[in-house]
Amino acid sequence: MLKRSWRKSEKGRKMQKTEYEKKEQDSLSNSFNNNVQNLRDIYKNCSDVVFRPFFIAGKGKAILVYIEGLANTEEIDDNVLSPLMQESTEYDDIKTLLKKRIAVSNVKELATFSDCVDQISIGNPVILIDGRATGFSLDLSKWEQRSVEEPSAEQVIRGPREGFIETLQVNSSMLRRKIRSPEFKMQAMEVGRYTKTKVIIAYMDGIVNKTLLEEVNNRLKRIDIDGVLESGIIEEFIEDNPYSPFPQLLTTERPDVAAANLLEGRVVIMVDGTPFVMIAPTTLYSFFQSNEDYYSRFLIASLIRWLRYFLVVMSLLLPSLYVAVLTFHQEMLPTTLIISVAASREQVPFPALVEALIMEITFEALREAGLRLPKQVGSAVSIVGALVIGESAVQAGIISAPMVIVVSFTGIASFTIPRYSAAIAIRMLRFPMIFLAGTLGLLGIMLGIITIIVHLCTLRSFGVPYLSPMAPMNASGMKDVLIRAPWWSLRTRPHFTGGYNRYRQPPDQKPGPKKGKEK
Amino acid sequence: MIEKGRISAFQMAIMMYLVVVGTGIIFIPGITAKYAKQDMWLSPILASLAGILAVCTAFQLHKLYPKQTLIEYSVNVIGKIPGKVLGLIFLFFYIRMNAGGIRIYADFVAGSFFTETPLIVIISTMILVCAFAVHGGIEVVGRTSQFFIPLYVLFLLIIIILLLPDLDFKNLFPVMGNGLMPSIKGAITPQSWFAEFLLTAFLLPFLKDVNKGRKWGLISVFAIMFTFVVTNLVILFLMGSITASFTYPLLTASRYISIADFLQHLESIVMAIWVAGTFVKFSVVYYAIVLSTAQLLGLSNYRPLVFPLGFLTMLFSIWGVANETESSSYNSTIFPFFSLVVQTLIPLLLLLVAFLRKKSGRRKPN
Repeated sequence: MLKRSWRKSEKGRKMQKTEYEKKEQDSLSNSFNNNVQNLRDIYKNCSDVVFRPFFIAGKGKAILVYIEGLANTEEIDDNVLSPLMQESTEYDDIKTLLKKRIAVSNVKELATFSDCVDQISIGNPVILIDGRATGFSLDLSKWEQRSVEEPSAEQVIRGPREGFIETLQVNSSMLRRKIRSPEFKMQAMEVGRYTKTKVIIAYMDGIVNKTLLEEVNNRLKRIDIDGVLESGIIEEFIEDNPYSPFPQLLTTERPDVAAANLLEGRVVIMVDGTPFVMIAPTTLYSFFQSNEDYYSRFLIASLIRWLRYFLVVMSLLLPSLYVAVLTFHQEMLPTTLIISVAASREQVPFPALVEALIMEITFEALREAGLRLPKQVGSAVSIVGALVIGESAVQAGIISAPMVIVVSFTGIASFTIPRYSAAIAIRMLRFPMIFLAGTLGLLGIMLGIITIIVHLCTLRSFGVPYLSPMAPMNASGMKDVLIRAPWWSLRTRPHFTGGYNRYRQPPDQKPGPKKGKEK
Repeated sequence: MIEKGRISAFQMAIMMYLVVVGTGIIFIPGITAKYAKQDMWLSPILASLAGILAVCTAFQLHKLYPKQTLIEYSVNVIGKIPGKVLGLIFLFFYIRMNAGGIRIYADFVAGSFFTETPLIVIISTMILVCAFAVHGGIEVVGRTSQFFIPLYVLFLLIIIILLLPDLDFKNLFPVMGNGLMPSIKGAITPQSWFAEFLLTAFLLPFLKDVNKGRKWGLISVFAIMFTFVVTNLVILFLMGSITASFTYPLLTASRYISIADFLQHLESIVMAIWVAGTFVKFSVVYYAIVLSTAQLLGLSNYRPLVFPLGFLTMLFSIWGVANETESSSYNSTIFPFFSLVVQTLIPLLLLLVAFLRKKSGRRKPN
């Protein structure tokens, strides 16, 4: 078995190198024509790559290479080409010339073709000069990007309204604006053989656990695929248990969530081309916490948190509880209630289990349709959903009214979970629970719950137990799980494995009238 | 070491609490009431002595042979072949005990709620869920029990509080009307439940904080004693002299609850919560079985044994017990003495031999 998997991995490593990769390995030579020819070969049939030959100060041969639409042509004209091409320019050494004449903030010297290709592909124009075995890249990239908007999937009433966008530079700058300390570090790496996507590992030096950081680094380095188009692809490569329905990395579109997690000692993984950043490690409870919990008054936030926990349980269990009670435990309902339920079920031809499955599947279908639909026909679905399925099905006696109520409440409950990835996991687990309830009643539900809890107990996210601080228990961690304790009492950071920077603030900051008079 | 996971002494205490209370709370009130009548609340106090003894024995043995389980050091104490035989005896005892426990659970669930469902379904689903937990290792069992304990205790408290209006304190008298004997007789069965604390001998080697092991073990024994005393008292206050005629008095008591015409017929919920408790019990014993088999056979991994041994337990619980009546008489007549021998006397002897050996062994170099 071990041998087999080893062989498999050997086979995978023998991936062919493309001829481009071979070419890119070479370093630039002294021959100008060779260099240009090589670059032209690499960018053969790329109509968007511009080669602009020119003479420096009317003498030295040079060529400027850039990609149309990624490089800022206006700036190139004003700050690069016009000063270099002026005949009056003294030209002896290119380096001094660059220092004297080129008003570009970031200039890099390049030795190999792969360096040149990297720079050109991110939009920086590259200059090759006759007689030199190095090229220069100028930081003059500019491309179209979406403006910063409020993320529609994570709305808040109180809290910053900005959200990440698809451009990594903008995203990292948003984080830097929130955490100005130089202890906030960002390590960059590239993932994806073709897409060469930039991935940033952001963390707070001094707060983050070193072994965690190393683990994140190692797992990211192991990835070898052709393309990364969204952080979800990376997520599947670095999570601890790929077969679990539960997400093991928290994703967010909000810079304030990312910053808060950084300050708690977690690692943020940002991927170019997507507004979703990933946070590791994470626990189950963080999926049920909204960032707004930390901005609103703590009493209200705690109450809302309890409401949310209750609704999480409801969204998992309500349909199955209803099925179990109707099928096995009718005596649990008060007599008047069971009579009215029985009366409404009189005409229904299905057993409760089938009825629940039909309604749940319909609801899931409506939800999925609502997501995919073009906005113009959205109202059609709501009419179909509300009128046809809600009213007519009940009137026709196919579905009982209490079942419609149960399913709609379950649906509402599942939408209160702030993180979609956790909500969908719970929504998925609802179906096996309904089956268990229909076959073994409350016992089946209990066995289902035990199985889920056991599974959650085996889960880890980057080495941190998924159910901590509940199991294993950590009393100070409960302050931010069971309730949302006021900020002045949240003295300690969440405890992950290993040594860590424990305190986030000094004690005795509880406000009060006395404090102001103290000298 | 065969097990890489580590638990805390606190987790061990919680696991042991649910091991004893898990099935005990279904079964013990009825049996103690049968023998001790209105002194049934005294029996758990006497019975807890067996628990204290078991904790101390296990801890002393562990001190003499640190990082080893009962199976491993019994070979070291009395030699290879006798040690292995002793290991087999323990193994057989725990398989029989777990199978008997699962049968109690299955009879309880089937008899009270699912009269149509075949026993094998109820037994096999439970073993399957336990196997899932045991496969995850000791850490998972520990964390799961930690997750369930607040719910378990909370629901027990709620039931007791909801019963408060119906209690009649006069049922307590006469205290020790017939002397101490009835309560001692009543303590014979619970004693075997408390003696299950010998299972700590399988958990102590995996403790992060071993020096707290005895303390938390004893705390757990007292918590269990307290739980049993309180439930027995509540049942006694509620039902008085007729308690002994019910097999599952606490379930009957929960049927009694009726508040505001809405909070009534809570017995299904009681059953659901008890399932969580029994689950932890079976998992811990199951884990001990799997671990000891692996150590007896000298394997490097216990996980492949989980499902076969679960299947064996299932067969034991179906074929080993003919019916509910037999199960009940076995548990109140044979099992207490079986347990007394295997879980109390043999470990005490083992400790004695180990102690003497260590003493003579220390003298030898001089």
